[in-house]
Amino acid sequence: MNKELEHRFVTELENNQNIVHKVCSLYTNDKDAHNDLFQEITVQLWKAYPKFRGDAKFSTWMYRVALNTAITLYRKSKKRVQTQDYESVINKIKANEYDDTEEKRLKLMYDAIKQLGDIEKALIFLYLEDKDYTEIAETLGITEVNARVKMNRVKNKLRTILNP
Amino acid sequence: MDELELLKKDWQKREADLPKLSYDQIYKMIWKKSSSIVKWIFYISILEFVFWAGINLIFNDPDSIQELKDLHIHKVIMVLNVVNYAIILYFIFKFYNNYKKISFTDSSKKLMQTILKVKRTVTQYVWFNLIIFTTYLITNMYGVLLYGPEGKEIVEAASRDGNSTVFWIMVIGISIVFTVVILFLIWLFYKLLYGILLKRLRENYNELKKLEI
Repeated sequence: MNKELEHRFVTELENNQNIVHKVCSLYTNDKDAHNDLFQEITVQLWKAYPKFRGDAKFSTWMYRVALNTAITLYRKSKKRVQTQDYESVINKIKANEYDDTEEKRLKLMYDAIKQLGDIEKALIFLYLEDKDYTEIAETLGITEVNARVKMNRVKNKLRTILNP
Repeated sequence: MDELELLKKDWQKREADLPKLSYDQIYKMIWKKSSSIVKWIFYISILEFVFWAGINLIFNDPDSIQELKDLHIHKVIMVLNVVNYAIILYFIFKFYNNYKKISFTDSSKKLMQTILKVKRTVTQYVWFNLIIFTTYLITNMYGVLLYGPEGKEIVEAASRDGNSTVFWIMVIGISIVFTVVILFLIWLFYKLLYGILLKRLRENYNELKKLEI
């Protein structure tokens, strides 16, 4: 691998690292796991980079590799964390920005997302990132119709978790 | 659902709270080793290939060729050897090909499909080895009992007592039970190994596949 390729890759990843951090915060529950997943995604991105032709946007391509790594990475099946984990990035909501009820609602929602399965998390993540159904379907490898169906199910599931 | 809209807005605002890694930190990361499921499967597969190739070598040492001739099973074993090695080569080729196809830039479904395919190749390889190993064992036993010095004595002793049918039924019965127990244990081992390793992947794959029905 030549130096120029390394440099280009690291720079692009540095500029787009938010995407990877967001995936990590969804799929992990503590700082160590977050860093491990970030590390693994970086390795997979780098391995795939020589084949990245630049016909897609670097960020679009990153979503796919990052989610794929999170979904297929082997982890000991830790019990899904039910207690509130304030270490986790996802929960770091600045209190002063919201009124109390809104903050509580958001907190509940983030906790609810943490309870979802891997694929469901991927769908919600792509939804939160404002991706359209074409991209969601392509990323996961399902049809657009199925992506919509599944998304509605996930939304309903979230609703049930939030209003039992 | 307005709760989700609220969430989306908040999600996009939260970017400032995310950790920031420096150029150097990321640069160091790209040279670290992967710990993905694919790596695990790769290492386990290599172990499988080495292990079964080793078993083959141990049981096929050149000293025993004369022994095989004495037992009248030399030709059968030679044919088995040729078939065995040809199929092992085929499996290595197939494994390598499938392994190369694993790409994290594919869609999630396609990626999981290729990983499971690699795993299936290795499982098939293991089953093939078990079958061929059992065939070797049976051929050997047959040779020993019919032509081996101890075998002749045993068979003769059995027929002297006049119940050679019972003897043969017992021999076959014991062999079957023995084979079944060994196969079951090995099956259990792999079930546990890949069960633990691929549980999540399989669940995720099935979830995507379920949509298609």
